[in-house]
Amino acid sequence: MDLEKLRETAAEVAAREDVKYLIGWKKGTYGYRVAPGFIEDADGAAELIFSPLCTANLATYLTLVEKLPLPRGEEPDDRKTALMVKGCDSRAVAQLLVEKGIDRENVVVIGCPCPGMVDPELLAEKYPETEEPAEVKWTDDGFIVIRDGEETSVSRDELLAEKCRLCRYPNPVISDIMLGEPVETWEPAEDEGVNEVENKDVDEREAYWEEQFSNCVRCYSCRNVCPLCYCQDCILDRLNPTWVNRSVNFSENTAFNIARAFHLAGRCIECGECERVCPANIPLGKLNRKLAREVRDKYGFEPGLDPEAEPFQASYKPDDPEDFIL
Amino acid sequence: MTAKPKVGVYICHCGINIASTVDVETVEEYAQKLPNVKVARTYSYMCSEPGQVLIKEDIKEQGLNRIVVASCSPRMHEPTFRKAIQEAGLNPYFLEMANIREQCSWVHEDTGEATEKAKKLITASVAKVRLLEALESKEVDAEPAALVIGAGIAGIQAALDIADAGFKTYLVEKTPSVGGRMAQLDKTFPTLDCSACILTPKMVDCASHPNIELLSYSEVEEVGGYIGNFDVKVRKKARYVDFDKCTGCGDCASECRVADRFPSEFDQGMGKRSAIYLPFPQAVPAKYTIDPESCLYLSRGKCGKSPKCQEVCGAGAINFEQEDEFVEFKVGAIIVATGFDPFDASRKPEYGYDDYPNVITGMEMERLVSASGPTGGKVLISNGEEEIEPKEVAFIKCVGSRDESVGNEYCSRVCCMYTAKQAHLIREKLPDANIRIYYMDVRAFGKGYEEFYDRVRRENVRYIRGNPSEIFKRGNKLVVKAEDTLTSTPLEDEVDMVVLGVGLEPRADMRKMMDLLRLSQSPDRFFLEAHPKLRPVDTATDGVFLAGCCQGPKDIPDTVAQAKGAASSALIPLARGKVTIDAQVAEVNETTCRGCGFCVEICPYSAIEMVTVNQFGHEVEVARVNEALCKGCGSCSAACLSDSIQPKSFRDRQILPQIAALGAMK
Repeated sequence: MDLEKLRETAAEVAAREDVKYLIGWKKGTYGYRVAPGFIEDADGAAELIFSPLCTANLATYLTLVEKLPLPRGEEPDDRKTALMVKGCDSRAVAQLLVEKGIDRENVVVIGCPCPGMVDPELLAEKYPETEEPAEVKWTDDGFIVIRDGEETSVSRDELLAEKCRLCRYPNPVISDIMLGEPVETWEPAEDEGVNEVENKDVDEREAYWEEQFSNCVRCYSCRNVCPLCYCQDCILDRLNPTWVNRSVNFSENTAFNIARAFHLAGRCIECGECERVCPANIPLGKLNRKLAREVRDKYGFEPGLDPEAEPFQASYKPDDPEDFIL
Repeated sequence: MTAKPKVGVYICHCGINIASTVDVETVEEYAQKLPNVKVARTYSYMCSEPGQVLIKEDIKEQGLNRIVVASCSPRMHEPTFRKAIQEAGLNPYFLEMANIREQCSWVHEDTGEATEKAKKLITASVAKVRLLEALESKEVDAEPAALVIGAGIAGIQAALDIADAGFKTYLVEKTPSVGGRMAQLDKTFPTLDCSACILTPKMVDCASHPNIELLSYSEVEEVGGYIGNFDVKVRKKARYVDFDKCTGCGDCASECRVADRFPSEFDQGMGKRSAIYLPFPQAVPAKYTIDPESCLYLSRGKCGKSPKCQEVCGAGAINFEQEDEFVEFKVGAIIVATGFDPFDASRKPEYGYDDYPNVITGMEMERLVSASGPTGGKVLISNGEEEIEPKEVAFIKCVGSRDESVGNEYCSRVCCMYTAKQAHLIREKLPDANIRIYYMDVRAFGKGYEEFYDRVRRENVRYIRGNPSEIFKRGNKLVVKAEDTLTSTPLEDEVDMVVLGVGLEPRADMRKMMDLLRLSQSPDRFFLEAHPKLRPVDTATDGVFLAGCCQGPKDIPDTVAQAKGAASSALIPLARGKVTIDAQVAEVNETTCRGCGFCVEICPYSAIEMVTVNQFGHEVEVARVNEALCKGCGSCSAACLSDSIQPKSFRDRQILPQIAALGAMK
């Protein structure tokens, strides 16, 4: 993607009177790090980047804005938020629109067709992170890693993130401004992770998840990074009644993770952020993608494709399949 | 702060229904020791007057403020006990019922285990009842008018009764005339009254009644609101004939360029009609209608130099510019009387209904023997070569009824009698004909039915027990292949004519009505009543009642009785002028509601809407419940991700301790 074009467009948008700020990606403080950039004016746009390191789904910031009580007589700031999105991120925006989590007129969506992100862990493993800023760029058939002034060409397969290998929607499904031409979509890989869990028998599956959930430290990073976990008052935090006890043990950890997965069934847009931020390396993607697969196979529904869609969890059709309901 | 809970537990023997399986004394002893329980008693029939008095006295004397009744399903007696405790000065919603009959004694055999389960259920109810809150029901005004959908005999009767009671009644009929299926029948069993003779006076009445507004050739498009306050929108389809100008003379129909070209719906396709038509001579209203599909002018834009009907109509009533009109009104109650569809005999291909002209259905037979029918009442039938007067006539019963292969397990309840009646009518007209009826069972259950069946048998009508497997053609005869199962004799019976005793099926278009009025189907696919025995005309939607065959197959006497029942039920809110809105409805926590609207989408009663509220200077959307529409079903609660909407008396903090109490016990 043409970085100049991106910055130029971002500068124009950030300068608009009806835009409060623009959220994009900018360089982080060291190594491969990328940070969210909140750009309030045209000058700030010079910081913005778009590279195979821009894995973060910035749509989560749309619903994080706190609505502080307004002093009497003061009008709320109803200016728009501009947001840069990849394909997966745009699905989060579409799903938020379905759920009325945001209003369409309150966002300016800047679409970035995405050739695929690198897996940050694989990258750091093969090309360890440096103190000095490092970069990764797309080439026609892979990536170039630039660190310590040295450029290394790497094949796409070697570093492509799992969620991107599985990706079916690399081009934004919704946007007001599209940067560049759409990328050519690729044949999504077979979801071996979910297959593997599906092929286990009940005991093996329980043992597998017990091992995974036992590692959970209940930091709630997965919930906090998730663009679709945005209830002001999460039921997992409630004390009366206490749905999930705060103690960190297998039973409560399981209750937490399963409840979250179920709340995301038919809503998860598979951006993989939960798994990326999990400090305990719990394969949350498998859990969410399994439910997404069920919803897709059983009901033919995929969330985050149509902002006008009927919300899956609230829709009922007389011919909905029910043979798998006990 | 509410007072400390003092719970009374009342354990019902229900005669021996509960007491024979559950050791009620042990349960009583156990219940007395439960936390917060002040008193526990057993009694033979808690719902009886002395049983209720027991509870009321304890409330007054022992200062009880929460009541658990361990007896039957709350569907049965929750209203009874709510009323009782209210009379004793307690809020009626301070009641919890432990169902130890349907969910315990009736389904278990072992006394020891059933007693333990009864203890658990009561423990759980005590845990919950302590946390119930006082609720107040509300009253709203009811619109003193009713809507009746469908103007067959059920709808006509219901409309007449409501109108006679002095209330405005809107009677909506889809077809151009009232009368429905009964108008098509020749004579009625078992008395052999002429169907038209007893029906037409009622048809005329409902058109001329000052309290009835008849909307024929119209369909209900939208229904909103709730009991006492339904908003109805009806589409009056264009007849292309000015209703006020048409005199019903019929010149248009006889002069129509495509006169008598189209199968008449009323004559079951055996007779013909023109593109402009009156369904039958006694039709009410006696106004002609143009069928836009068969009319040359409306379907092709050209009819000779100018449409013939327009030329000949002396009243100038033909109006091709006419468009559908919409009328809107308010009613307090709705009666659904949409009737049935006759079973489509093509779905039993072995009987050759589609192949042989002399295999006809019972409905077609009605038209064939009718003096106003296509043959003027003569029994004449084509055997494929010529029109003949049949000598050998066979009837086959249970076609499309009691037949799992077509998905209808139920008995249609009228075929036994109408085949007997039709056999009698043929006997009258063709004294020498050989008539036989193939049957599985004969169900002559109504008043005078068995006597009529006997009479028909004495008229030399043979009843052969056996379900024919096939009908095929041999020469100019039809062969009915069957087995006489009483003598185990295989038969190949050569006949001139076969009448299929087709059953009654739910209407193909009933889904529309279900969506409009939020009705459900029972397993037989007919509309589901609120309770099969005690609320047979009510539905799950308050203020909507059922009459006639839309609820299940029935004969004319039962249909009229049910229509009168539905009318009387519909009259309750109308006559009272007010309706009570149950307080046990869902409530939204507006501070945690995230405004996603899932509850709005999922609510089966359309009881929730989004409203904009000001929260500390910010305009935010939150859900709000219309208490009059909400049934407290809890679907919203299940869909809500932030747990912000819950039915009162079934809040999480009320039912979780109940569940915990069940789980804590061994």
